[in-house]
Amino acid sequence: MENKSFLEVKSICKSFGSLKAVNDVSMRIETGEILGLIGPNGSGKSTFINLITAMLKKDSGSVMLDGVDLSSMPAHKVPKNGLARTYQTVRLFKNLTCRENLIIGAIGVGISQKEANKIADELLEEMGLAEKADSFVENLTFSEQRFLEISRALACKPKFVLLDEPAAGLNEEETQHMLDLLKELPAKKHIGILIVDHDMHLIMTLCDKLHVLNYGQTIAEGKPEVVRANPEVVKAYLGSTAE
Amino acid sequence: MAKNRIKNNHGISSKLSTPIMLSVILVLVGYFIWWLNIPFVQDIYTSAAITLVMVLGFQIFNGNSGILSWSYVGFVGIGAFSSAIFSMTPQMKSMQMPEMYPFLVNIHVPFVVALILGAIVAAIIAAVVAWPMMKISDDAGAITQFALLIVIHVILAQWSKVTNGPRTFTLGGQTLTTIWVAMISGVVVLFIAYFFKESSLGLKLRATRDDRYAACSSGIDMVKTRYLSYIFSAAIGGFAGGLYSHYILSINASAFYMTLLFNLLSMAVIGGKMSVSGAFFGTILLTLARQGLRQIEPVLTNMGVNASGSTEIIVAVLMIVFLVFRANGIMDRYELSPSSLKSLFSRKKKAEKKSA
Ligand SMILES: Nc1ncnc2c1ncn2[C@@H]1O[C@H](COP(=O)(O)OP(=O)(O)OP(=O)(O)O)[C@@H](O)[C@H]1O
Ligand SMILES: [Mg+2]
Repeated sequence: MENKSFLEVKSICKSFGSLKAVNDVSMRIETGEILGLIGPNGSGKSTFINLITAMLKKDSGSVMLDGVDLSSMPAHKVPKNGLARTYQTVRLFKNLTCRENLIIGAIGVGISQKEANKIADELLEEMGLAEKADSFVENLTFSEQRFLEISRALACKPKFVLLDEPAAGLNEEETQHMLDLLKELPAKKHIGILIVDHDMHLIMTLCDKLHVLNYGQTIAEGKPEVVRANPEVVKAYLGSTAE
Repeated sequence: MAKNRIKNNHGISSKLSTPIMLSVILVLVGYFIWWLNIPFVQDIYTSAAITLVMVLGFQIFNGNSGILSWSYVGFVGIGAFSSAIFSMTPQMKSMQMPEMYPFLVNIHVPFVVALILGAIVAAIIAAVVAWPMMKISDDAGAITQFALLIVIHVILAQWSKVTNGPRTFTLGGQTLTTIWVAMISGVVVLFIAYFFKESSLGLKLRATRDDRYAACSSGIDMVKTRYLSYIFSAAIGGFAGGLYSHYILSINASAFYMTLLFNLLSMAVIGGKMSVSGAFFGTILLTLARQGLRQIEPVLTNMGVNASGSTEIIVAVLMIVFLVFRANGIMDRYELSPSSLKSLFSRKKKAEKKSA
């Protein structure tokens, strides 16, 4: 294996007025790992992603990727430093073709247009979107849009990607397809993944580790089986969803 | 091989096909009109080609950023005045504009150089004022643009020592923007606008237009991207202004205000502001429509109907109709190219088959 990268979040905090949306959360992911971030609605998962990608200004704490603090740089410099993301509500460039959407992902971090073209076509092929290369986004199914957004995150050749509910809105078959794809990504692309999702089957099958938030605070972390059995987790979250 | 399944249309030849096809139309029509040798028709062509350059410069920022750049026509005015100052002889200037600063009176460069300097002056002024404005999007962005246009307009209208103030600025001499100069400029700027759109900067600008959050998390510095594009657009606008002043030969600040903005906007909106081909066809269509309507106005007036101004009303209504029923204009997001023609044709065929 090539050298590993590390993404380390230390005691990150964010309040909206009196609401502590993310309260002293720390975690660590390395290349090759899939970490699942779960928690009830409004527990601060998306806010956490916005903080580590610097889309939101943190109140305190740090986000180090291989020794570089991401949380204090302008948000647009984060992908160039190796961290890409997707959004809970799909965000694509609707007046650009699928290929152009991916080209943006690559040229955004300074890859040449020629190289970006190559990266885009390879990703379209891998994701089974080759046929739609010159279509506009509205001609894709919802699940294809999710795949395209993930491809765009991969186009910048990141070290880590953060996926905010990639399976939300997908049917069972599409979710399985998503699972198959995500399962092989870390090894194939030499990346680490942080995934947020409410689909417990997906999370349990996919993740090497889990991290559970409730009211912005960490209530459990560790191996999926262990976390799942944690009484506080069951009470806060799994109790209602599983069984 | 799997790779062959993707037909990559980013080869150089297909990249060139759009500006080539548009240029061929522009040149053939121009050549035909020159051959016809009817001065009235030649004038319409020349001014349409100049307008095309203006609309293309407008499209570069407005169309690709999604920000309504009102201030654009101000930069057209800046280019118009400054290139005229650069190209006129000192004698002519001291005769026409006795108040002008002496250092301006003494400048004298060839026409083409003056055009380029006009573009550069517009670009420099854009570079000085635009940075903070580029942070603002949507309605607030359009309002700051509007405010900047007012500032530029008032300066152009009042700075007697440069623009001759509220009086007319007369260039004198002969028309330097001939039908050929206008045609060649149209062709060159068609290529420039198209390559800008396809360039890395143009792609990034379009990304910020469609979703600025996704653009940001794709690594795009929105403010910088907009800023550079805005300067570029202002430069083309300044160039177009120079073409205009050396064609019309007497200008004043009000030529670069609401009327011009409305004219350019109607062309961009009806043609399709996201597309270079849209700017092209919008310009042609509205030039023809305006000319046609202008012929009808006096006829109606003779018949006892007061029709003065009806042209503007009809154009305005047409723009509203487009915004309601086809908001992205005739060309929408598409460009004229062999493949877009082919797919249009095959779609029609399919529709015919279905109805048969
Ligand atoms: N920009 C904001 N301003 C004020 N409050 C916010 C903002 N963004 C999020 N919040 C609040 O912070 C809390 C955490 O929200 P967040 O979106 O991070 O939750 P989540 O875990 O992603 O939930 P879900 O599972 O529904 O996506 C919520 O109470 C939300 O209302
Ligand atoms: Mg969320």
